[in-house]
Amino acid sequence: MKKNILYAVLLLLVVFAVPQILSDFGTNLTTEIFIMAMFAMSLGLIMGYAGLDSLGHAAFFGIGAYSVALIGKFVTNTYLIIIIAVAIAGLIAFITGAVFIRTSKFYFLMITLAFSQLIFTLLWQMKDLTGGADGMSVSAIMNLGFGDIFDPQTMYYVMGIIFVAVFILLRLFVESPAGKITKGVMENEGRMAALGYDVRVYKLLAFTLSGALAGFAGSLYSFYNVFVSPELSAWLFSGQVMIMVIVGGVGTLLGPAIGAGVFIFLQNFISTYTERWPLILGAILIFLVLIGKGGIIQWLKLGVTMIFKSRPKNNKVSSTIQPEKEEIIS
Amino acid sequence: MSLLKVDKINKSFGTLQVLHDVSLEVQPGERHVIIGPNGAGKTTLFNSITNHLPITSGTVYFEGKDITNLPAHRLVHLGMARTFQKNNLFGDLTVEENIHLALTAKKKYRHDIWFSLTSRSDIKKETNQILEEWKITHRRDVKINNLSYGEQRLLEVLLAMASKPKLLLLDEPTSGMSPAETTQTSEMIQRLPRSMALVVIEHDMDVVFAIADRITVLHHGEPILTGTPEEVRNSEMVKEIYFGGGAKKHA
Repeated sequence: MKKNILYAVLLLLVVFAVPQILSDFGTNLTTEIFIMAMFAMSLGLIMGYAGLDSLGHAAFFGIGAYSVALIGKFVTNTYLIIIIAVAIAGLIAFITGAVFIRTSKFYFLMITLAFSQLIFTLLWQMKDLTGGADGMSVSAIMNLGFGDIFDPQTMYYVMGIIFVAVFILLRLFVESPAGKITKGVMENEGRMAALGYDVRVYKLLAFTLSGALAGFAGSLYSFYNVFVSPELSAWLFSGQVMIMVIVGGVGTLLGPAIGAGVFIFLQNFISTYTERWPLILGAILIFLVLIGKGGIIQWLKLGVTMIFKSRPKNNKVSSTIQPEKEEIIS
Repeated sequence: MSLLKVDKINKSFGTLQVLHDVSLEVQPGERHVIIGPNGAGKTTLFNSITNHLPITSGTVYFEGKDITNLPAHRLVHLGMARTFQKNNLFGDLTVEENIHLALTAKKKYRHDIWFSLTSRSDIKKETNQILEEWKITHRRDVKINNLSYGEQRLLEVLLAMASKPKLLLLDEPTSGMSPAETTQTSEMIQRLPRSMALVVIEHDMDVVFAIADRITVLHHGEPILTGTPEEVRNSEMVKEIYFGGGAKKHA
């Protein structure tokens, strides 16, 4: 619990420090990073804690985004729009997940990919409703009870604070009984069944939560970008978010968020110099994945241990001292 | 009423019939040992009882209830748990986390997605109890993969026991152990409370005779004898299977 408060305070400090350091352009970019970080964390949750590698997670992002665009035509209350959007994404994740989790590994990868292409095609073809390939603009304006949010500065703080809240909620889930059990199912499904767990319940729970969170990120993106297009559900986007997760670090919560930051930063930074930015980005990503097992978060952790523990050899030998340390921290 | 009743189960893999009409009864608190040469179908019998493998025909009763087609996870909630011949643990998790997972299976809050698991007082207490009882408190933060083989074997049993089952199935608890570890494990099994019935697959005859109330001898998938340790020790047929003519078809 204390650790969660510490994390919340540290992250909020970052949120409030960024506008002081970066330009308006940088701050606006960070807003997008917060949204993508939430999306990446939703995929990181099922990849790192449930062993479900989805290559179609953009489907839920797109569903969330389009829900806001469509519902926003009829409803003005921002909270209501977002709740409906998240509920739709979560419900679809629940229904499809019940089928998807019967498969595993490559088959899971393929079936999620197929599903996201299905959503993509629907968004593309249902021209009357979605505007087809042209996309549609979002008429809903974010209003959280203190006036319409137009200016990028306010939007930035709203997204930043929501990001921190989502991160803490995910931490709570990961530490909860259901979260721990889900991780156990990923580690050893057969033994979890023999211990008395209905493993499918936990996989489905993780998938539903993840889908709902992806939808939530999508709905926020809709407000942020005021324009949605079918590409939000395309497999390219699914692949990009998977790259964010892997580069940042699978098996952690902060990792995918950092991955999202690095990805979007590089994307925008390099594209100011050359049109061929995917080429350079690709090379950098190959490099990062090849040498960075465990992702950027592992390097950060390594750095932190090197700074704070001058003799890292010690903590392996004296395993008997560790319980005491643990107790002090918690 | 017997605790476990296996009624004429058959199991085939394709054309290979591994279990022929196996019947077995276990009373509450009984220590029942299953012996037999390699390939006799002992582990298959376990997998059939716990429905890790669907059986071809026959019925399994637990406390009079038909459990033949119940999924494995439901059995734990009825009061039946098992261990595995090959260590089947959570290698990347610590001893403490493994025990947590085993204990939570029967808790009402196992579907809770909100409040931290490790801060619950009952789970802390029960974990400490287990760690102290089996004298492994100093190993609580060690990852399973870094434990010795014997310690992993012990954990294998502790995880199954965490649900406080009425019936515990132990699949070769001493396999691959050193003589010293085998003696320890044998003593540990004898220490287990009588509120729990045991069905044990075992190869080491010293262990078998130390723990068994009754013994079933399985040969080519058929139970050829069920009796007290004395009866089995004196049986000509068992001697023949183990020491000579094992491949020969018995009468």
